[in-house]
Amino acid sequence: MVEMLEAFTEGLFLVFAWKTFSLMLVGIAVGFAVGILPGLGGPVTLALMLPFIFKMQPVEAFGFLLGMSSVTATTGDITSILFGIPGEAITASTIVDGHPMAKKGEAGRALGAALMSSLVGAIFGAFCLAIAIPIVRPLVLSITSPEVFMLAMLGITFLASLSGGAVIKGLGAAALGLMLATVGLDPISGIERYTFGTLYLWDGLRLVPATLGLFAIPEIIEMAVKGTSIAEAQVGRLGGVLEGVKDTFRHWKLVLRCSALGAYIGVIPGMGGSISQWLAYAHAVQSSPNKERFGKGAVEGVLGPGAANNSTLGGAMIPTIAFGVPGSVVMAILLGAFIIQGLVPGPPMLTPEREGGHLTLTFSFVWIVVVSNIITVATCFLFLSQIAKITYVRGSLVIPFILLLVYLGGFAENNAFEDLLVVLFFGVLGWIMVQLDWSRPPLVLGLVLGPLAENNLFLATDNYGLGWLKFRSVLFILGLIVIGTLFPLFQRWRENKNRAEPLPGQEPKKPAPVSPWAPVFGAALALVFAWALWQGRDWLFRTRLFPWAVGIPGLALVFVQLALDASGLLKGRGAGLAEKRDETAALVRRRTGAISGWIIGYFLTLWLLGFSVGVPLMTFLYLKLAGRERWPITLALTLFAWISFYGIFGYGLHVPFPKGLLRGWLGV
Amino acid sequence: MFRIIGLLTLGILSLFSGRAIGAGAEDFYKGKTITFVVGFAAGGGFDTYTRMLARHFGKHVPGNPSTVVENMTGAGSLVAANHIFNKADADGLTIGNWIGPLVLQHILGNPAAKFDGRGFGWLGVPTPDSGVCALTAASGIKSPEDWLNSKRPIKIGATGPGSTTDDVPKLLREALKLPIQVVEGYKGTARIRLAAEAGELDGGCWAWQSIKPTWAKGVESGKVHIVLQSMLESHPELKHVPLAAKYAKSEEARDLLKVADGPYGVLARPYSVPPKTPKERLEILQKAFMATTKDPELLAEARKAKLEFTPVDGPTVAKLVNELYDLKPAVTDKLKQIILPKK
Repeated sequence: MVEMLEAFTEGLFLVFAWKTFSLMLVGIAVGFAVGILPGLGGPVTLALMLPFIFKMQPVEAFGFLLGMSSVTATTGDITSILFGIPGEAITASTIVDGHPMAKKGEAGRALGAALMSSLVGAIFGAFCLAIAIPIVRPLVLSITSPEVFMLAMLGITFLASLSGGAVIKGLGAAALGLMLATVGLDPISGIERYTFGTLYLWDGLRLVPATLGLFAIPEIIEMAVKGTSIAEAQVGRLGGVLEGVKDTFRHWKLVLRCSALGAYIGVIPGMGGSISQWLAYAHAVQSSPNKERFGKGAVEGVLGPGAANNSTLGGAMIPTIAFGVPGSVVMAILLGAFIIQGLVPGPPMLTPEREGGHLTLTFSFVWIVVVSNIITVATCFLFLSQIAKITYVRGSLVIPFILLLVYLGGFAENNAFEDLLVVLFFGVLGWIMVQLDWSRPPLVLGLVLGPLAENNLFLATDNYGLGWLKFRSVLFILGLIVIGTLFPLFQRWRENKNRAEPLPGQEPKKPAPVSPWAPVFGAALALVFAWALWQGRDWLFRTRLFPWAVGIPGLALVFVQLALDASGLLKGRGAGLAEKRDETAALVRRRTGAISGWIIGYFLTLWLLGFSVGVPLMTFLYLKLAGRERWPITLALTLFAWISFYGIFGYGLHVPFPKGLLRGWLGV
Repeated sequence: MFRIIGLLTLGILSLFSGRAIGAGAEDFYKGKTITFVVGFAAGGGFDTYTRMLARHFGKHVPGNPSTVVENMTGAGSLVAANHIFNKADADGLTIGNWIGPLVLQHILGNPAAKFDGRGFGWLGVPTPDSGVCALTAASGIKSPEDWLNSKRPIKIGATGPGSTTDDVPKLLREALKLPIQVVEGYKGTARIRLAAEAGELDGGCWAWQSIKPTWAKGVESGKVHIVLQSMLESHPELKHVPLAAKYAKSEEARDLLKVADGPYGVLARPYSVPPKTPKERLEILQKAFMATTKDPELLAEARKAKLEFTPVDGPTVAKLVNELYDLKPAVTDKLKQIILPKK
């Protein structure tokens, strides 16, 4: 025990050796930028940095690498909040409430909350690692495939059943997400599913373009329609960074619970930050007394994922260090660093130096994560007010840059132009979902958890037949799912009952009007599910199992929603077409059409002319024609867009941008 | 009109660029990144070998490109094999590492195997595999005799049809009448290992070369027993472990074990590039592969990590793959029944 404490303190001193510390600062600087830039993922950058560590000592190498990867989740939140674009794949969930906060003029508060909860999460995760070191084995071995599957379902149903009270829509969106996750070669036997004969779809629908489309495109449309800046309202002193910090401590129980959740998810191999953030979000909503606030800028929705995606790193290091089984891509690359440094993961990492182990080094990892997060968060706070001011710049100046980030981010992650079509597809889907009040987070979580859920459902079935359904742990989680789904319904029923006798002078609350388009969308979804199920009729059982397991309930849910919408319309609750003919509606329609034209036009220009011509051209055209900006501003910003695009992605990162169809034909 | 001029220009340009490739294949790799696509999850044998090779590979390619490793899991690395054959650019910048016996899936007519083994450019194999079955102490099976007499089917974890973890136990079940339930769908041997330790499985059958670096602790501490070797000859370190051939009672059984020895041995972990990769780049990569496996720095690392390197070069791999396509119809018919996915 004394040895443990000694190693623990010595680990701290190791971090502050000048060479280690300065390399860590370099790592932090790189991680900072990578986190903020969308499309530029932590894992890829980490892989590219790996060759630099050959000449370093172990502590220096890990200071550099861990310093870098431990801050991306923190700075990624900044982009998510300000622009509604995920800075990192693992910060997508921060958008759901963080971006609405920015729109309400509370960017400062959201950023303060995100940064502070990130810090708490990171430190929590790091200390989990410290504490877990002696007891790590049973932790990882505690769950088997049936339980992993059920936990995935638990996360999805929790998130789905509390989306603004519309349980059926939430579950339907989740089923759609799970279904979309099955596109591609099936993971058990390699049969093509829903690929329409294209090679592109073999790898399935990628998460980053899907998230960009679902969240960023509707956001751009809304901003253009309202003609405002990102923040639609002014709040004194940027909505208070300090307020956000205070929020973290006001909701300290939630922050700690989400940190613990993140660390635990990190421990499970195959689950990383992209999953833990959504589960933390789900938990934040679930545990809040008034769920209606979520998705509209509830600070808890920022705190939960903020903490969880940071604590995941500490958690994920546990199996990597103790077993050599990396919990995530980042960890797989770090495992490579272990081998470069001649370190063998496993018990030696947990044995004191005196006995030939590397315990002090292991504890120094804990400190690296803690120290680099403190440095990052402190730096951010210094500039936070400046950063948050971006949200007050008028929309017409910001939109071309957001569009640039959307298309760059969509492309640069995998250098596949088809990814931009996925962005547009999900953009349309996301916009429709917003219009018809379908919640988007369950769809994303379905997309994230789909492959994992499918893998474990098949493993459970192949191993135990249907026997796993009778496992006590499975029944327990099933119980939680049923309670989690029914409880919000029960709550609403009770509220309605109380409201049945309105107080004097109070109008009884009317049910929400139904858009005439709702049944159209419902019918379209039903057709998609039905077609997907029909497609699976000739497949092997193993290929068909998951699509049918989610498709059948999905179809049922969509039908129920369709019936609800139709009956709503028939009972005269339709949001009548007549009202829509007034002037504002016409203006909204005209502006929606215009911005949609720009979004699609931008895509077509990139397709025809390539990025290097298309980016400056479209930035210029948008600023001049749509924004009606003056010449100096237009030219300066166009130059800025081109330089930042070309400098960072083209020159700095050698992203192989396609030349564009037209230039290909002309050969220039 | 413009289109025609464009096409003409393009044609002329491509003449030049064609020559440029021929003259400057060496310069081609300067400032580029070579991606290794591994068909299995991080932390298993394929991943460990590839990450080590990738770290030293760039040194041996003219122009010193950087390297990255990507894990593309699914269907026992079939997803990665299909990707390399059909989708990856044939520019010599993408190298696949999927399990070689998948070629049998193509030969046997599995519709999911969308490639022809004879089309790939083969770089080589870092080491032939020696197949073994490793069972946990908790399974209660310490010897082939225990196994043969087991009252319950022994649960063997597997990745997907066509991979060693899947096919070798199926061949053993057929040849030796061992009670085995193959549980498929794990993303790699790292996950099988964990599931075995968690008690979900009894163990698995795959390469000793992969078990040694990744599961040494289990074997040394006696929590995992190496019960059986599926090869025809013993691995030098495993003289005490019985060979499966000892329990084969019929000629047919011995034939099946020969199959388990062949593609699952020498051809198990090959590195390949997409068809139509320019010949001079393939040759550069083949040379670089052999040079990497003899790199003193790599070998020093390999000793620390307990990885074996007894490489087989690309042309030899190509020859062995072509030979697989000449298997006798009687053998392939039998194999179809045993190793093609059925449910």
